Amino acid sequence: MARTGSGRGGAERPGDAARPNAVWTQATDGFNRWVGGDPAGLDDLVAVMTPVLWHVVRAYRLSETAAEDVVQTTWLALVRRRTAILDPVAVGGWLTTTARREAWRVANATTSAMPVEDEDLAPLLPRQRSAEESAVQHDEGDRLWAAVDRLPERCRRLLRIVAFEDRPDYRELATDLGMPVGSIGPTRGRCLAKLRVALMETGGDHR
Amino acid sequence: MSELSRDALLAIVRDVWTERDPVPDHLVAAMQAAAAMADSDLDVELMSLVERSTELAGARGSSAYTLRFVHGDTDLLLRIAVDNGRSRVDGWIVPAEPMTIRALPGDTTGSHAAVVSDSGRFELTDLPVGLMRLRLEPHDVARPAFATPTFEI
Repeated sequence: MARTGSGRGGAERPGDAARPNAVWTQATDGFNRWVGGDPAGLDDLVAVMTPVLWHVVRAYRLSETAAEDVVQTTWLALVRRRTAILDPVAVGGWLTTTARREAWRVANATTSAMPVEDEDLAPLLPRQRSAEESAVQHDEGDRLWAAVDRLPERCRRLLRIVAFEDRPDYRELATDLGMPVGSIGPTRGRCLAKLRVALMETGGDHR
Repeated sequence: MSELSRDALLAIVRDVWTERDPVPDHLVAAMQAAAAMADSDLDVELMSLVERSTELAGARGSSAYTLRFVHGDTDLLLRIAVDNGRSRVDGWIVPAEPMTIRALPGDTTGSHAAVVSDSGRFELTDLPVGLMRLRLEPHDVARPAFATPTFEI
């Protein structure tokens, strides 16, 4: 829970904005070295992309165990089907797409076990959690979390995927989130606006 | 009142989730092990050697022989020729199927690969002599890769 929040203010942090690009470049580099015969390339590719896959998959509301299984299935698919990747630059996108398809499949296969639709329940949960944590919100990390956490369920999931992925396929994303195909772009914009407002409302130095 | 840019907001989202739902500690190492295992061919199905024939040895150490392997419905015929310490493999796959053939020499990490032609043929040239195996990777992603057992050239 505690964070060592350093320099987290309202100002943009160029390092973070640039980070996703570094991830995809490193992924391509690792993939190229692996295909060229260096096993360490595969290690590096796995190290840099596993966290991305984790966050994308967890946005599908899978349990930790189920999410780990999906991530592993994705890696095995890559190793066994490396010839399917014709463009090394696209390896990151191939991995996240494969992971999302598998996550969607697994999530749908297990929905029947859920007694209540998550979508109905979701609006209630964030506020409860926020209330519990309101006492300790003086911490900057908690404040940011509270802002993200109070977003509608759909926004939280969409923004999590968009934040970790590199230009996800909107068509698939729309199907996964149960939204009309054309609405992902506008919805993302609205979700970002809501987050902006939430950050201001939770106080801190953004105002 | 400063407006946070899209990138800054997404960076916040990344930071928040990285902290609140972190990647389990063991996950990266476990995935590296799983990927390395799959990559090592230990879980790749092996073809069976069903035929081996030696052709007449040529002059000064050049020789050729054929090997035939099967796996499911796939038949693989190899003609292996050695000349001056290097070898070449001419292969024929029946039924013809788009796939990449990778030669995995026993003692080097060098990679020799060829794509099967429409007629099912492929060739790998300038291979080292010694222990060798071929890995067959169908382009149909629904089909797992398989490999020949190690043979000696």
